[in-house]
Amino acid sequence: MKKAIIMTEHLERVYATGAVKTYALRDISIEINEGEFVAIMGKSGSGKSTLLHQLGLLDKPTKGNIIIDGNDVINISEKERTRFRLYELGYVFQSYNLIPELTALENVYITAMARNLKRDEYEKMAAEILAAVGLEDRMYHYPSELSGGQQQRVSIARALVNKPKILFADEPTANLDSASSEDVINLFRKFNEEIGQTIVMVTHEKDEGDKADRIIWVKDGLLDMEKLENI
Amino acid sequence: MESNDLKVMFFLAYKNLTKSKITFMVIVAVMAMSFLSITFFASIIDGLGYEFEEGMIRGQTGHLMIEPQEDDLYISDSENLVRDIRRIPGVVGVARRLDASAVARYETIEIGNPVLFIEPENEKDVSDYWSSIIVGEYLSKRDTDELLIGANLVKSYAAEGDTQKRFDVDVGDKITLSFSNGFVKEYRIKGIYKTGSRFVDDKIIINFDQYELIFGPTDDIASNILIALPQRGMEETYTEKIIDLGVSAQINKWQTKMGAVNQFVGSLQITNQITGTIGLLTAFATIYIIIFINVTNKRKQIGILKAVGIKKQIILGSYVLQSLAYGITGVIIGNIVMKLLLLFLSIHPLSMPIGQVVPILTTERLMTTSATLILASVVAGFFPSRKAADENILDAIFGG
Repeated sequence: MKKAIIMTEHLERVYATGAVKTYALRDISIEINEGEFVAIMGKSGSGKSTLLHQLGLLDKPTKGNIIIDGNDVINISEKERTRFRLYELGYVFQSYNLIPELTALENVYITAMARNLKRDEYEKMAAEILAAVGLEDRMYHYPSELSGGQQQRVSIARALVNKPKILFADEPTANLDSASSEDVINLFRKFNEEIGQTIVMVTHEKDEGDKADRIIWVKDGLLDMEKLENI
Repeated sequence: MESNDLKVMFFLAYKNLTKSKITFMVIVAVMAMSFLSITFFASIIDGLGYEFEEGMIRGQTGHLMIEPQEDDLYISDSENLVRDIRRIPGVVGVARRLDASAVARYETIEIGNPVLFIEPENEKDVSDYWSSIIVGEYLSKRDTDELLIGANLVKSYAAEGDTQKRFDVDVGDKITLSFSNGFVKEYRIKGIYKTGSRFVDDKIIINFDQYELIFGPTDDIASNILIALPQRGMEETYTEKIIDLGVSAQINKWQTKMGAVNQFVGSLQITNQITGTIGLLTAFATIYIIIFINVTNKRKQIGILKAVGIKKQIILGSYVLQSLAYGITGVIIGNIVMKLLLLFLSIHPLSMPIGQVVPILTTERLMTTSATLILASVVAGFFPSRKAADENILDAIFGG
């Protein structure tokens, strides 16, 4: 039986503007198993990215709980959350979000460098993962010298260099052409199948969602019970 | 903080600095110019004040000036006193003078003037008259019928449009001096001197021995004795040594003899402090704004770094390091340019009515300005980066 690596309990995220409260997420309780490739889908404004931000520890829910790999990640210090993001989680953004002053290799190894590793170790790790995403010949290029698809592959390499337990991806193909989009999804599929990487990806492309093991549908901040798939 | 944290901090700072060369150069240029704007003007004012003082020291007071007690008109036994003071180790020069006034006449022009009686050779050690001769020659001990005249009394050296009464004379012309006791004598102009100090360049100078000829036997008197020391700041030590000789006359330091000049220099210093402080605050604000904008523009980058698990302290430290690099580089460049300017102006001093002014940059001003600008850059880097680092990650990345 597969172990649940992510569990949420009655997750709620409310944005308050003066007296007006907007419920971005309400009563979200889900489980994602280790080694699973899960897509979170829904219309624009449905709350899918907000859910991903909570799971990826980029934001804090207003209510509810999140357990990652058996750890309560809500009631821990900011320092611990930072450590968790570095060691246990990887994040791929829609707009790549690479550091423009760093080469592809440096963008990848910066997170490995932040761990207590020696230079040759983190350089080797970064070079290997860049090779795995097909960028061995672009390692010393700056983001401005790379295409969108290449930048997103660098971003994936950065997210994976520390061998995280979970990889989060927030609409990773939204800014890419169809060929590059397919490359990215295939890479996710490859890492999921070959090394059992747990992946949680937000997308609004149904064919991308179909390549995941499972889709979690979100509507108006709630789980879309009509499209429930083994939550 | 762990060693690898420092490694990441330096790495991020280094990459940001070296990749954003234009930003780096612009900020460093602003820092350097701020440094120059504060120090250059201040150094000119300091140089002006120094020149005023130096003009007085080298023309009128020496570093120390021995004068008669209030009830006395003259210092007596002056020759022996000069000899004794000269024996004090370190004393650069000692010269006695006598003061009088006379009406000088050339053709139809008559001007009442101070007359200074000097011992030409001794005087060389305490004043700049000998090196300030612009036409003709300096006095020698044997010159009994010659005088030196200050350029301020000579028409050909007057500024254009100047209407003050002056002599239309040149070297070799003869001027008649009429003293208060009725003594009248004609002297040939041997040289015209110009120190550049208006307090000094309006005198007629003749040989010390002439005083006895004019006023009768004097019993070895002097109006004052000037003493030159190796440098400023040693006045107290040498005053004590001179007191130990049993001198009964007043021993005055140059500072106490400055009078109005002291007030003027004091006013200059106050002006300098005020403008310097305003300059520092302006530079502080300018640098703060520039670095603030730079760091604020990196808000997204700070959010990304936090999102991928880089500690807040590392991010903050890297921006403070960058700001420190801006500050130190700007100050170093400012220092280098300032040194070059000072070097240039020491070779080509600024011509001012009081003389040739060389800007002076004091160590205190150099240190204060450098430290303030570096502090400004660090503070300017710290606060906005701390604000960005404290911000919610999503707000920093996506703007909020």
